[in-house]
This record gives sequence, structure tokens and C-alpha cells, in this order.
Amino acid sequence: MLLFFVRRLSLFLFTMLLLTWFAFSLAHLFPGDPLINLTGQVNANPEQLIALGQQYHTEDHMIFQYFSYLEHIISGDLGLSMASQLPIASELANLLPATIELSIVALAIAMITGVPIGFVAAIYHKRKVDDVILTFSMIGYSIPIFWLGLLAVLIFSIELGWLPSAGQLSLIYEIDHVTGFLIIDILLSDNTYKWQAFADATAHIILPACVVALAPATIFIRLARTTMLEILETSYIKAAKAKGLSFRQIIYRHAVRNAMIQVVRHVGLQFASLMTLAMVTEVIFSWPGIGRWLIDSIYQRDYTAIQNGLLVLSIFIFIVHIITDLTYAGLNPLARERSYGS
Amino acid sequence: MNLLDIRNLSIELIGQKHDILAVDRVSLTMKEGEVRGLVGESGSGKSLLAQAIIGVLDESRWRVHADRFHWRGQDLLRLPIEERKAIISKDVAMIFQEPIACLDPTTTIGEQLEEAVPESMLYGFFWQKRQQRKKAVIKLLHRVGIKQHTMCINSYPHQLTEALCQRVMIAIALARRPILLIADEPTAAMESTNQGQIFRLLASLNQLKNMSILLISHDLENVTHWTHTITVMYSGQFVEAGTTKQIFTKPYHPYTQALLDSSPKANMHLPAKARLMTLPGSIPILQHLPIGCRLGPRCPRAQKQCVNAPKVKNYHGHQVSCHFSLKDLY
Ligand SMILES: Nc1ncnc2c1ncn2[C@@H]1O[C@H](COP(=O)(O)OP(=O)(O)OP(=O)(O)O)[C@@H](O)[C@H]1O
Ligand code: SF4
Ligand SMILES: [Mg+2]
Repeated sequence: MLLFFVRRLSLFLFTMLLLTWFAFSLAHLFPGDPLINLTGQVNANPEQLIALGQQYHTEDHMIFQYFSYLEHIISGDLGLSMASQLPIASELANLLPATIELSIVALAIAMITGVPIGFVAAIYHKRKVDDVILTFSMIGYSIPIFWLGLLAVLIFSIELGWLPSAGQLSLIYEIDHVTGFLIIDILLSDNTYKWQAFADATAHIILPACVVALAPATIFIRLARTTMLEILETSYIKAAKAKGLSFRQIIYRHAVRNAMIQVVRHVGLQFASLMTLAMVTEVIFSWPGIGRWLIDSIYQRDYTAIQNGLLVLSIFIFIVHIITDLTYAGLNPLARERSYGS
Repeated sequence: MNLLDIRNLSIELIGQKHDILAVDRVSLTMKEGEVRGLVGESGSGKSLLAQAIIGVLDESRWRVHADRFHWRGQDLLRLPIEERKAIISKDVAMIFQEPIACLDPTTTIGEQLEEAVPESMLYGFFWQKRQQRKKAVIKLLHRVGIKQHTMCINSYPHQLTEALCQRVMIAIALARRPILLIADEPTAAMESTNQGQIFRLLASLNQLKNMSILLISHDLENVTHWTHTITVMYSGQFVEAGTTKQIFTKPYHPYTQALLDSSPKANMHLPAKARLMTLPGSIPILQHLPIGCRLGPRCPRAQKQCVNAPKVKNYHGHQVSCHFSLKDLY
């Protein structure tokens, strides 16, 4: 397990180097002065620029520039947003939690619905149930998310009026900013209206989270289905049958566990595409997350924000990857000892 | 009374275009306390036959049919499937080929052994039952000759050697105190010392518990030492059955003859470096089975008549399925 951990750590460091190098080179590839692109100091006067240039070693070799950039990033200085002139680090700290919250809730919904449905389809393989589930998952996968989001707003917010269509929380509630994750902050706060606020936040997150979850859920259905089918073919399931276990016992004790482990392995990969979907959905639901902010930055040609926002986002996705890998290793006794570093 | 009496069991692989007869009317009888070897080349359908007996073949892919299937005098074909399965799984246990693949990789050996202990052997409240299960598992492990039971119970399958896994599989099979144990190539891919240990273990189970064993192997010579009777199969067809002595000293079927001729031990009298006799060619694949006697294309005695499948002839319990058997040569 230790070896496994060390391998993952080295992989993490190496990837971080590549990612930061990529972000760094973006500053040079974007139009304009690389120094201003890196720092976002559009309004600096010449003296300030010279001071900045010294900080970032603009006169020295590329490698030194890169390392001074790394130094700034590690100390938490991501530059200023060109558009708002606010520190990007604090903007991200405000916005990223909302996106993470949305993504995690969506991932939970996708897994809780998708995986069991996939298992059911596999158990009823070659029968009506399986065909119906497969058809629906194909349809669900092909629905464009923008259209689905608008449709959901139209039906559930405007026609039926069940769920709010925009934002993260009603303006009437005031919640102190502690962790940035709204639901956690609500639970931490000691307001009298804590539970009303919680209910309101839940109502706000349901619709966007479901919209984000649809496509990943269909992927989980197919993933869980194929994995389960493979597992049901294995010798140890046959041997368990010969042991005299009932079908139910075989499914619960052996098949589900082994299939789950294989599904968990793919969560990291799915999470990356789920984040993208979440960012698109944020625009529809006016969700105060990083997606809208990034899209706005692109419109405003806020290079500093684009470059460092992408950097932080990729780091986050990579961390999720590592967490799922570790979970997989923790669940799977085989992977714990096998010494591969991929 | 026969323990197991199977007559003309066929297994068809259900295909898209047409079905393939993988096992073609094979008969098999077992007496109580008997060790019977089931021998044939790789791909001759031994494992299929065994899996059909215990009923674990996937029903959507295989169709099994038999003229007679008696278990201790009871006609299983008349019973509904559920009952049939219940009877078989109570009295018949099987150890599959490739023991490591037959153990759930994510569950400890202990847990897998515990769930094999049948509910009917336990009594009392559930916490008492848990204790009994644990004790039963340790006893089972001792019975198959595993002394470090704590280590074994807490291990995952991949942490054990092939031979240990095979012992665990035998322990799992023994948990239900079966009357018949089907052992599918229990010693394949094992060193010869380990092979001997496993065979001795099976032999002692047979002698002490009067357990019948169907010992499947692709190597005729390997099992003759341990069996009372032998059934030979080739490419899904019945070839020959008889006592080990009959098969070994007076094989009636050209295929059995060839098997014996190709084994070095039975040919001690051959001069050094002489060629061993073997049949030309190899076993046909399922998609291209010859009609009639499937040995035809490889058989040294084949004649025109062999395009019709031969009938089984019985000479004092020595059964052979061949138009031109070697009986007259002796
Ligand atoms: N799941 C399957 N799907 C398709 N064909 C199969 C399947 N299992 C077995 N067969 C075919 O059925 C035939 C008999 O297989 P079987 O496994 O019973 O052979 P065997 O006598 O046990 O050989 P071995 O010594 O290799 O175990 C082979 O030709 C094999 O290719
Ligand atoms: S029936 Fe014919 S082909 Fe088959 S074994 Fe006998 S002689 Fe050979
Ligand atoms: Mg086999």
C-alpha cells in the first residue's frame, strides 16, 4: 500500500509540473505582454512593472521565469483578474466550492441511480427489462444538456412551480461564509432558520444536479451492466452456484462487491466530463460557480483568469482521480499489492 | 443400486445460426464409494459434462438433454428444476478447474469457507451459529491438511499458492459432506509432489468417508493409480468404460489404445529413443465436427461404416463404442 501511495504521489508531482508548465506557456502564447498575462496587472505603471519583472525574473532564462512563477503559485498568488482586478485566488475560493458541490451531488445522483439500474439490466440480460433500460440509457445519453436544462426549467419551475430555477439559495437567508460549501456552511451555522435554509438550498440544487447527472448516469448504467455481465460469467460465480448459494446470495455477497470495485475505478474519469457538464449547466441555472466565471473570462479576454482558473480546475480533477484510485486500491485486495504505477 | 446413472446425456451449444452438439449422448454410471476417472483429450467435453451434472451451465447458452438421470434411484428428470438443483447441490460437490479463478478475489478465504457450511448443520441462535461456522471452517481446513488455519482464513485467494487454493476448494466442497465429489483436473498445473498430496487426500476421503469421486483428467496414465473404473471420452462422444484394469490391459477402442500407446509408462519395453505411437492430427473444434464417429479422420481402423455413429456394446461391464473394436484381438 505504501509503495502504491508513493507511486501515486510521484505521478501527482510530475503531472503538476506539466500542468503548471502548460499554464505558464499559455501566458506566452496569449497575445500581449507575458508578464501582464501572468500577473493580470493591466493598470500597473512602468515602475511597478519593473518591480514585477524582477519578481518574475523576466530578464533571465525561461526556466528561471518558470520557477519564479511556480513559487508564486505555491505561495497562493495566482495574479489578479484582468477584468475585475480582484485576486484570482480569492475569486476561485468563492466560486469553486459551488461547482464542486453541484458536481458531487450530481455524481452521487448519477451513481445512486445509474449503478443499480445497470446491475438490474445485467441480471435480466436478454430479457425485456434489459432492452428497455438500454434504450432509455441511449436516449438519455444523446439528449443535449442545454436543451434538457431549459426544458427542466420550463416544466418544473415555470409550469409546475415545484423547484426554483436559478441561484443557489434564496436571498432572504444569510449564511456566513466558512468553508465556501453552502450546504456545509448552513449546517455549521447556528441561525434560527437553519433548517429552512437547508431545505431551500436542497430545492435549489435538485434541478441543476439532475440535469448534470443524466448523461453520467447513463454511462454508469452501461458501465455497471457490462461489468456485472462479465462478473456473472466468471468461474467464481459458477463455483458459488455449485456451493449451493442462492442467486440472491451470489449477487449480494460476490457479484455486487466485485462489480462495484470495477465501477469505482472509472469514477475519476467520469468526474472530469461531469465537471464540464456542470459548468455548462451553471450558465442555465445562474449557479454562482466557476463555470460562468470562466465563460465570462473568455468573453472578456481575461487571460490571467483563464490560465489560472484552468490550472486550478485541472489540479482539482487530478486530485479526484487520485482519491478514486486510492479508494479502488482500498477496496480491491489485488490492486493493493500489485505494483503498477499507471 | 447405482449412485448416479446417466444415459445418453447431450449438451448443445445454442448458436445464432444452428446449435452445436458439444456432448453427444454420453452415458455415465457411478456406484457408491467408487472412484471413477473421466479421461479424454483437452476439449473433449469433460468439464461440460461435469457442469451439466451439477447444473451450473448457463441456461441461455447451453441446452442439456438426457434419456435418464437417476440419482440414488430417484428419477431427477421428473422433478421440477428447483427441486432437482436442491437435491444435487445437497449431495454433489464439485471442484472446478483452475482453483484460483474459482475463488472470489475480493473476499477472504475464511468468509468463502463459512458461507459454504450449510445452514442445516448449525443449531441455536445466530451468534451461536457464527461460532459454529468458525469452528467448522477450522475443522475443514485441518481435514484437507492445512495447519496454519488463521493465516489461511485471513488471506485473499491471490496470496495463496495454487496447491493451497486447491486444498481450500476441496475444503469448500467437503463442507456439505457430499456423497459424490466431482474433481475437475484437481492437479493440473501443479508440481508432482503437490499432485501426489492432492491425490492421496482424495483417496483418503474416499476410503474414510466412503465418498464417491469422479476424477476428471486429460492424462490417462496419471489417474489409473487412483481409480477403480474409467470412462473415456473423445470430442464429446462416449468412447469406452470399464474397470481400470480392463481399460489398462485390454483396451477395446482404438482411441484408448492410442492413449495408452502414447504414454511412456505403459511402454516400458520400448527401446530407448524409439518413437511413441500417437494418432495423427488433433481433436476437431466444435465448429467442424466430423459426422458419425468423431474419431474417424484420425482413426487407424476407420472404414466406410464409421460415418454412422457406432452403438455402445457391453461385454461384461466393459462398454465400448466402436464398429471395429479391438476385442477380437485379445
Ligand atoms: N463457454 C463456452 N463457449 C463456447 N464453447 C465452449 C465453452 N466452454 C467449452 N466450450 C467448448 O466445448 C468443448 C468442450 O470443452 P470442455 O471445457 O468441456 O473440455 P475439457 O474436456 O474440459 O477440456 P480441458 O481438458 O481443456 O478442460 C471445447 O471444444 C470447448 O471449446
Ligand atoms: S467407429 Fe470407426 S472411426 Fe470410430 S473408433 Fe471405431 S473404427 Fe475408428
Ligand atoms: Mg475442462
